[in-house]
Amino acid sequence: MKNRTLAEDFYKGLWQENPIFRQLLGMCPTLAVTNAVINGIAMGLAVAFVLIFSSVIISSLKKIFPPQVRIASYIVIIATFVTIADRFLQAFFPSISKSLGPYVPLIVVNCIILARQEAFSSKNPVGRSFIDALGMSAGFMLGLLILSSIREILGSGTFLGYQVLGSWFKPWLIMILPPGAFMTLGILLALAIQIEKKLKSRS
Amino acid sequence: MSLSARIILVLTCVGLLSGGFLATVGLLTKERIALNREKEIEEAILAVVPGASSSQKLYEGEGLTIYAGKDASGVLRGYAIHASGVGFQDKIVLMFGTNPALTKIRKLAVLEQKETPGLGAKITDEESFLRYWEEKDCTTELKLRKPAASSPQELSPSEVNTITGATISSEAVLKTVNLSLKLLKGLQLERELLGEEKDEE
Amino acid sequence: MDIFTIFVSSILINNFVLHYFLGICPFLGVSKKLDSAFSMGLSVTFVMTITASVSWLINHLILIPYNLDYLQIVSFILVIASLVQLVEMFIRKMSPPLYQAMGIYLPLITTNCCIMGLALLIALKDYGFIEAVVFGVGSGIGFTLAILLMAGIREQLEISDLPEPLRGASIALIVAGIMALGFLGFSGMIK
Repeated sequence: MKNRTLAEDFYKGLWQENPIFRQLLGMCPTLAVTNAVINGIAMGLAVAFVLIFSSVIISSLKKIFPPQVRIASYIVIIATFVTIADRFLQAFFPSISKSLGPYVPLIVVNCIILARQEAFSSKNPVGRSFIDALGMSAGFMLGLLILSSIREILGSGTFLGYQVLGSWFKPWLIMILPPGAFMTLGILLALAIQIEKKLKSRS
Repeated sequence: MSLSARIILVLTCVGLLSGGFLATVGLLTKERIALNREKEIEEAILAVVPGASSSQKLYEGEGLTIYAGKDASGVLRGYAIHASGVGFQDKIVLMFGTNPALTKIRKLAVLEQKETPGLGAKITDEESFLRYWEEKDCTTELKLRKPAASSPQELSPSEVNTITGATISSEAVLKTVNLSLKLLKGLQLERELLGEEKDEE
Repeated sequence: MDIFTIFVSSILINNFVLHYFLGICPFLGVSKKLDSAFSMGLSVTFVMTITASVSWLINHLILIPYNLDYLQIVSFILVIASLVQLVEMFIRKMSPPLYQAMGIYLPLITTNCCIMGLALLIALKDYGFIEAVVFGVGSGIGFTLAILLMAGIREQLEISDLPEPLRGASIALIVAGIMALGFLGFSGMIK
């Protein structure tokens, strides 16, 4: 394992190993719930909850899982936290739960979470796994925020429900529909690669 | 400990712990979630039956649920009908209120829809759609005014307005309401009890 | 909704990939060549049909009657994981050529949002058994349609001159956006 400082463990989730833009994981919810910023934030928090708790638990118990059943056990643990998050939202934030719909339960198959367990938590101490989870969640949230801001502002003229563009602006409805989601993410990905290239050529 | 025994032990423990946690969370949140649903329906009923402060479920079945809306002194102020139908994209769930005599529609509310944003989704909009449904005569089937009128005064008593560019969504709402009214009137004829059922409670 | 509506709607109007955003990972990952795309589509449709039936049965015979709906997520994912394992073993034994054609993609399907999404949507929409199965088949066909179209386009893109940042996932997503735009035209097909 590379020797990284804790800070690096965190920051890599934001850029170098950003789950959405670099690892291309977890795109289903990214496209689905980013039609409004509040939905993006809710999803980001839900994923953070599941990822952080799963990573901490799996990292603390990593020695007891026989290799043959580790994936199955990880999945059960992840599914437990996803259910908790889903029930919590349904009980205390019913309108958000409705907007997010089946995408909260779908966190259980969000590749980001299982990938982190396989790649990191199962091989690293609890402290580092926690920071890694934190970083990945932050990176994921960042991606969701960027995408949902673009889509909401251009698609509804609002941000978090507040009108930000005056009535002179006719919303680009396409942005809150599936085509807008795909194209925006595609362009953002290309931008990310371009920025990465520029950064590399400078150093 | 042999490998297979260990496998079984780990799996059982994970399963039991997970089950235990979930059962706890499930039970803790169960009531709250049911309450949320009831509250949503109650709020919708009170919104479409002006003057009502409490509701009572009268009938459930055949794709619709009928509630009575009563005021503080227990007098029947109207009925609220919870129904759903197929729209442009997916299911549309709505609630509309009638007067006790079933001759007028008081108000309409669209509770759930997945129509096209900016077009069909406007059926939830007061300005473009819902206000045209207020105080409509429903002794006969309601009709849709096409092309869209620009103010409620232009419509005849049993006409409701279409949304320009969202005819199918508007029609879907109309069909659902007409169908529900038909069922409702049929039930009333058949049972003649809808007004009296409340006394049996 | 009647069966025919559900079937057509799941293929064209509410296409799993282009409308529900499910199955993006394989959609982007396995759509580079037409024949692998077809194999993936085939295995997904197969698993979806079985999952639709089994998840419906579990939901309606066990979870709901015993008030265990909070176990939905856990039971669905376990069922899917085991189903995929079983199907893979079964196909490998029964028909090696079929296994060559689609079996290798099966393990990838477990964490595929498609299948889990299917089980969840069926529960959400409260379909009956036949409707659930029809929905499963239709969604699978819709997925296959989308992935085949994408593969056809990508095979062309491979030999064209694209700026570097756009290559790969980026252009695939933009193409998907245009496809989604096209499919939007199918809405309202059914009254």
